[in-house]
Amino acid sequence: MSNFEFTTNELMAVTASRLLEDGQNIVVGLGLPQVATLLAKSSHAPNLNIIYEIGVINPESIDAGVGIADPRLWYRGEYFTSFNGSLGQILHRGLVDVGFLGGLQVDRYGNINSSLINEGDGIKHFTGSGGAADIATFSKKVFIIAKHQKRKLVEAVDFITTVGYLRGSNSRKEEGLPACSEIKVITNLCTLSFNNATREMQVESLHPGITSLQVKENSGFDIFIDENVKQTDLPTIEELQLLRNKIDPNKLYI
Amino acid sequence: MKSKIMGLREAVSEIPDGAEIALGGFAITRNPIAFAHELIRQGKKDLTLYEIIGAMDSDTLVGAGAVKKFSYGGGSLDRFGRIGRINEAIEKGSVDVREYSGLSISFRFLAGSLGISYIPTKTLLGTNMLKNLLKKDDSVLISSSPYTGEKEVLIKALQPEYAVLHAPFADEKGNIIIEGPVWDKEIGLAAKKLFVTVDKIVSNDYVKRNPEKVVIPSIYTYAVIEVPYGAYPTSVYKQYDYDAEMLTRYARINKTQEEFDIFLRDYVLSTKDHNEFLEKCGGMERLMQLRADPVFGYCKN
Repeated sequence: MSNFEFTTNELMAVTASRLLEDGQNIVVGLGLPQVATLLAKSSHAPNLNIIYEIGVINPESIDAGVGIADPRLWYRGEYFTSFNGSLGQILHRGLVDVGFLGGLQVDRYGNINSSLINEGDGIKHFTGSGGAADIATFSKKVFIIAKHQKRKLVEAVDFITTVGYLRGSNSRKEEGLPACSEIKVITNLCTLSFNNATREMQVESLHPGITSLQVKENSGFDIFIDENVKQTDLPTIEELQLLRNKIDPNKLYI
Repeated sequence: MKSKIMGLREAVSEIPDGAEIALGGFAITRNPIAFAHELIRQGKKDLTLYEIIGAMDSDTLVGAGAVKKFSYGGGSLDRFGRIGRINEAIEKGSVDVREYSGLSISFRFLAGSLGISYIPTKTLLGTNMLKNLLKKDDSVLISSSPYTGEKEVLIKALQPEYAVLHAPFADEKGNIIIEGPVWDKEIGLAAKKLFVTVDKIVSNDYVKRNPEKVVIPSIYTYAVIEVPYGAYPTSVYKQYDYDAEMLTRYARINKTQEEFDIFLRDYVLSTKDHNEFLEKCGGMERLMQLRADPVFGYCKN
């Protein structure tokens, strides 16, 4: 138990970082997932391998970039390859333990939409998949970082860019997809996991000071919350110091 | 030794309207911008375009009305913004756009580079991209593995008529040197005619002293086109950084066709070549500010 102050983003980064285990291969992008991965690598998981889909492995950036196509993100990389090298021969082969993803919408079964939103008679189109669909297909675990808003956490996404548990229960397997042993969603209000049988989203822990009502009010569908739901574990002072002094000193993401 | 060196105008003039071109750009890095602009200056029409990750080059071509059909695996200008001309073309249905994932479209080129007819995979299963592709594209089929019996998507090989990549160096034979990640390598290996724009032509002797730096050997290369800063305003690792001011501006003007058209008129259609475009963007003074630090690979200041 700690009794010092931290931001919600710091809590989210710490929560995501603790889900990573030493020695894992992680496909990650810019932002909080990268911060979480670097925090893990600086603390309990020094042997993590970081993979960017553009074809960069284990960089050690010292300057903030604007995305994985920014050479700032490639600094001190150990291996440069192609898309087929990163998402093909590593991910497609089954060597990725954790994929970090985000998107426009996440639904009850952990499917993600990063392509388009239905608007009246038409659509509004956004980024699309990039490697996200591939990462969600082949990573052993998928962790999703999302803003907890009614329009983002929805009953069913407008477009499945990236598969989660599809329609729940065994539907992912029946579709012919590789197994995904765990999907977790970390929002600014809580952490969410999926029921082992139905594969429906449920609240795993509430962030400090957040009530069940707040989660319900900010969700686009009825998420199961156990009345004895636990509180999200708090960051330690060591983790916060690493985040603030070493990993994101310019507070770009935390 | 047979030289494959060609001028940009001459190279682009070989590409007919309606051609099938795969571009090598990725968001805001190593986009063949000079080539894309010259395609627009020469008024090319009805192009069928491919790009693994949509980028400034393809967005500009779509905005200029040069493209009839576009296949890609998603894309953006990273944090600068969206590829607004492509997104709007999808929303309005004005270009026939086929959306893949990054890996599935890369597999089309990989299969093409190997001379096999398809690659089986489980990616795309369960997605709306697959549903849409099954409806209107002949590049995906659902089948089952003859070995495991498991359900698979068969991704059809692609050997595009033309590929256009930008690289820092090549020799006159077409041995292409790329530093940093090489997401576009298999595009080059799959194409029937590979055009490469380079910032600098190096000697064959330099290549022979550094063969490990060659990512695509001359066997694949049709034309080598020297265009210094040919990827500007996108970056070339270890050569020059992206121009953040210019990309910020592009990501603003590409939100509407009206503003894009003004940009296109002022920066592309009313400049006679890439040099004039660079002058318009601040010329040598600006380019000097973008020069990459050789240790970091980008501009350190």
